[in-house]
Amino acid sequence: MTDPQFLVGVDVGGTFTDVFCTDGSRIAVVKVPSQRDSPGAAVMAGVEKAAAQLGRPVGEINRLIHGTTVATNAIVQQRGAVLALITTDGFRDVLEIGRLKRWSLYDWNIDAETPAFLAPRDRRLGIPERVDSSGTISTPLDEGVLRRSFELLLASFDIEAVAISFLFSFANGHHERRAREIIREIVPGLAVSISSEVDPEYREYERTVVTAFDAYVRPVVSNYMATLLRDLKTHGFETRLQVMQSRGGIASAEVASDAPITMVMSGPAGGVAAARYISRSSGNPNLITFDMGGTSSDVALVIDGQAPTANEGRIGRYPVRIPIVDVNSIGAGGGSIVWLDAGGRLRVGPHSAGAEPGPVCYGRGGTEPTVTDASLVLGYLNPSAFAMGEMALDREAATAALAAIGFKLGLSPTAVALGVHRIVNASMADQIRLVTVKRGRDPRNFALLAFGGAGPVHAPALARDLGIPTVIVPPAAGVLSALGLLTAEIEHERKATNISRVDKLIPEQLEEVYQRLEAACIDLMRRERVQAAECRLVRRADFRYIGQSSELDVMVAAPITAEVIRLAIEQFNERHARTYGYENSADRVELVNARVLATFSLPTPEFDFRSLGPAPTGRPNFTRLAVFPEGELDVPVYSRSDLVDGEVLDGPLIVEQPDTTVIVGVGQVIRLDSSGNLVVTI
Amino acid sequence: MDVISLEVLNNRLQAIAEEAQFTLEHSAHSPSIREGADCSAGLFDSQGRMISQATAIPVHLGSLEPAVQGLLRTFPSHELQPGDICIMNDPYAGGQHYPDIIMLAPIFFAGQLVALHCNLGHHQDIGGVTPGGNPTNTTETFQEGLCLPPVKLYDAGILNLAIKQILMANVRIPDTVWGDVQAQIAASHVAAGRIAALVESLGVEHFEAGIKQLQDLSERMTRQAIERIPDGVYSFHDFLDNDGIDLDRLVRIDIKLTVSGSDLVADFSGTDRQCRGPFNAVPSVALSAVCYVVRCVTGSDIPNNSGCFRMIAMVIPSGTVLNPISPAPVSCRAVTLRRVVDTVMGAMAQALPAVVPAASNGHPFSQRLGGSKGRTGRRWVTSIIGTGGMGARPAKDGVDAIQTDASNSQNIPVEFLETYFPIRVLEYSLRADSGGPGEYRGGLGLIMRYEILAEPVVLTNRGERYFSQPWGLYGGMPGASSVASIRRAGGEVEPIRSKGVFSLAMNDVVEVFSSGGGGYGDPIRRDPSRVAQDLREGKVSFAVARDSYGVAVEEGTFRVLGTATADLRRDLATSRTTSDLVFDRGIVGAHRD
Repeated sequence: MTDPQFLVGVDVGGTFTDVFCTDGSRIAVVKVPSQRDSPGAAVMAGVEKAAAQLGRPVGEINRLIHGTTVATNAIVQQRGAVLALITTDGFRDVLEIGRLKRWSLYDWNIDAETPAFLAPRDRRLGIPERVDSSGTISTPLDEGVLRRSFELLLASFDIEAVAISFLFSFANGHHERRAREIIREIVPGLAVSISSEVDPEYREYERTVVTAFDAYVRPVVSNYMATLLRDLKTHGFETRLQVMQSRGGIASAEVASDAPITMVMSGPAGGVAAARYISRSSGNPNLITFDMGGTSSDVALVIDGQAPTANEGRIGRYPVRIPIVDVNSIGAGGGSIVWLDAGGRLRVGPHSAGAEPGPVCYGRGGTEPTVTDASLVLGYLNPSAFAMGEMALDREAATAALAAIGFKLGLSPTAVALGVHRIVNASMADQIRLVTVKRGRDPRNFALLAFGGAGPVHAPALARDLGIPTVIVPPAAGVLSALGLLTAEIEHERKATNISRVDKLIPEQLEEVYQRLEAACIDLMRRERVQAAECRLVRRADFRYIGQSSELDVMVAAPITAEVIRLAIEQFNERHARTYGYENSADRVELVNARVLATFSLPTPEFDFRSLGPAPTGRPNFTRLAVFPEGELDVPVYSRSDLVDGEVLDGPLIVEQPDTTVIVGVGQVIRLDSSGNLVVTI
Repeated sequence: MDVISLEVLNNRLQAIAEEAQFTLEHSAHSPSIREGADCSAGLFDSQGRMISQATAIPVHLGSLEPAVQGLLRTFPSHELQPGDICIMNDPYAGGQHYPDIIMLAPIFFAGQLVALHCNLGHHQDIGGVTPGGNPTNTTETFQEGLCLPPVKLYDAGILNLAIKQILMANVRIPDTVWGDVQAQIAASHVAAGRIAALVESLGVEHFEAGIKQLQDLSERMTRQAIERIPDGVYSFHDFLDNDGIDLDRLVRIDIKLTVSGSDLVADFSGTDRQCRGPFNAVPSVALSAVCYVVRCVTGSDIPNNSGCFRMIAMVIPSGTVLNPISPAPVSCRAVTLRRVVDTVMGAMAQALPAVVPAASNGHPFSQRLGGSKGRTGRRWVTSIIGTGGMGARPAKDGVDAIQTDASNSQNIPVEFLETYFPIRVLEYSLRADSGGPGEYRGGLGLIMRYEILAEPVVLTNRGERYFSQPWGLYGGMPGASSVASIRRAGGEVEPIRSKGVFSLAMNDVVEVFSSGGGGYGDPIRRDPSRVAQDLREGKVSFAVARDSYGVAVEEGTFRVLGTATADLRRDLATSRTTSDLVFDRGIVGAHRD
């Protein structure tokens, strides 16, 4: 029998697989090394270890929620299916031509900006057919040509998946569905993704890319999920395996595998879900998340307790048009390399030592000093208790590496280390400010949520620079994404492109569009064992002023009437003014997409973080010499589990927890809130 | 200033320029700034020397400082007051063409002038003979739109209403233009606020010393990079197809680039006299081209400030295409810039053979289509943005169909064109065999064919490389020329000769085959398996594989035939005479229909 309270979140990262597990009264947190070639094995090992910590069999788990990088890795490592792409005759090169724009302006050695590797030209077919912009078929699908050319392709390639993307299929998907039938007649059971299902929206390049990616990862994802489910079953697990989707909601593994590309931002989405949870538990509706890891830092916003999503993301340079959590990578991490450039400037990054060889102090062969080496030299890190004690740090080696740079500058290693922190903190503050103002917000109205191994080391210092008054370091800051998995809702989104000037909209027709989308969402929810009456349905519409090429979405009431449309346009004008600083109420507005989001809230468990460590004593373990901008100070070092609820402690001080370290500067104070969050007041 | 504070200052100045740039793009009303990001924001010291600039499109690199200097000639910095905002668009006073309105705002801290903010926005319309302001057939600036000499739009915080009214009365879309001016003002406020806060934390003296140090640093780093270029005089010339008026006359762009130690002299004295059509370009355009190439060579890591230009001397005789005399027309200077870049790169390729790529497509086509539709006769206008292949690199093929060098505009999706305009796109694909053969192949150009579904429609084609080819380097062969024509509904075919204005009728088909990039290195040294892969993908034909690459491939299996290939390559090596040339220009001056 399963225990409804017994939930497990598993988040696979590049270095570690994190497990966060609760059975209602207790919590277990486990980190196991990730296994690049068989990520599922690490998942199984972590789940078993966590269940064992609570003394319960795997078979009693009620829900296992998985944040997975399997889709992302297949893309990044280019290990997806051997793919064929079928397009409208004359347009097979759309995938390769793209939008023509390049990202690096002054680099003569750039590579192609488009993912033509998904299906090189000899695996792309152009088939006579045509649908016009109104959805009317103007040239019927030439089934004979399709059959012949696909069979010819099979003679030269072991095709493992097919993507079909015809022009204007978002207006009429009949040809795509018929083409899929024909492909499956030729090769029964072949993985086929069609653009009118994956991304029924206009702009042929973006739709083709996301459809091709979907097909490319499809066999990899379904194999992975099948293997994982089989392994779980042999351990007695028999209930629900759910996965995190890019938008920050979860879905059953089975339903999500039908649109595998939606899993591509699964990892960061867990972090954002956790941020939403901390926003509620800490009583801070507005948060900037700052997750500083080894190679880069992720920044996202929570506004009024909600995490904004974007309707398009990117994998590397490639656009991926799926709803996605709005997470921004900024260029510095603990592994960012410190160096002197040709002009004698002290530089931090953009190159990173990553996890391998890693900072000099890891003793894994790294020779160039990094931000983490600077933190160690400044006395911020405990050399014998780093990353849950998994690694001893070599302070002498870090000092020597910084001394080599200091020698050229006439500075001591400590002065260089302090300088590295000043440079990297100021630059991250600049980047965080840009991320925030680009969304029309002022960072001073936010609290900074710091997590990841290096986040709390830097957050108090850079919050001061940004004018942010509060930094929050959550409990379990090192496995926060895994925690987030347990707090997310089940959700599904469906959309339809319906370009029309608003003065030409017919309310009844638009109502039909929304009802069709709602029915599709409800179908998906049924497969999640959620009844229609239980799910919350939200209608949204993407509008723009005629002539613009990007849209803004607003909520729309049901049923659609002329008055509802008028109110939605008013909302759009307001949103436009807030986002861009002006509205064009005189300009003509047009509807581009209709969207429906269906959600179902699962009960959010209460986490008792006290069960994570020994009883608090409130006494500093010891003191340590650490260098602050004010000078070298002997500061108290607390263990996180020693902090007492509500007690206020004055900086400078250091708080150590198994997965990170909090550096609290002169004039800053800390306290624990009632939910176990450590709050630093700047 | 110590090395750490200096790095913090440098990063912050860059971030402030970026925030101003973002504010400008984000709050602009027109597609050209909002979507096309055709704008640039920079910070300058009180003498008008650049201290940072947001990463802009390359055409703006080096264009802001001459504009600031132009404005300061009318309004010296010691006379500027808080609340002043000066604007200007006159190419003969520091601008480049009328659509670019340049704005200068002084930044004060505690009553003292500490810095200047300058930004530039390409406005959607500025009056003149055609909407959107880039006609290909003007003969005087007076036809190109409204001229704004350096004027104060705001004088100590007070709006000069007359200037606003004159501006709005002379453009077709006054609200959009004024909206964009306001976006420029918003950007200047952001820059002023951030700089004031920075100066407050540093102190004026420290701030000014730091800026000077950064400019000196950039000069030192740029000089170090230039010192690695072998000393010498490197000459090159290239051609524009024509000036839009005299369609049969090539326009010569000529450079003598002298490298001595860490100094560069770019002497354009051999360039043709100014032309009748709008393809003249004021001197800051050539400066932008030189700065672009220098930045590619030295690396974009050097802080982008006036120190980067100090070692560059420009020699451009007055009365030439690159230093025309008012009122010579200049509205299409962006096309000229492309060819100046090619010319500078050609000179640099002789100095740095292992660094500089072969010529890229060189602006094969940008088109404007317009007409009226429906019973209401509502006017419509759209652009079609095209490009071609990238030139092959010393160790890499050129990228197929991509924006190159000074240009970086997005195309418009087929599904957008067909939804909004009476056009049916018949084909949008890669153009086989257009990439110049070489050990590394030039990137392929494009094929675009579309049918007109209304009448009458007016087409303006602004094209290049119809009368010449993107040159190959060090044994690489040139990319294919651009070819375009109108296939009339009645069957006759009318060639498009690079530039021109055409009237189209129902069911006429416009066809463009855009230029490919030049090849790099001897094609008979190309790895035969890569030739076979190009064949398999239909990027190269069997004939070119055999005749240019000397590769024999079995049809059907695409297997390289080793012995036959060796024979072919031996024959090619002995029968050719041209393999020792640096440049292969192909055919120059002849139009091939």
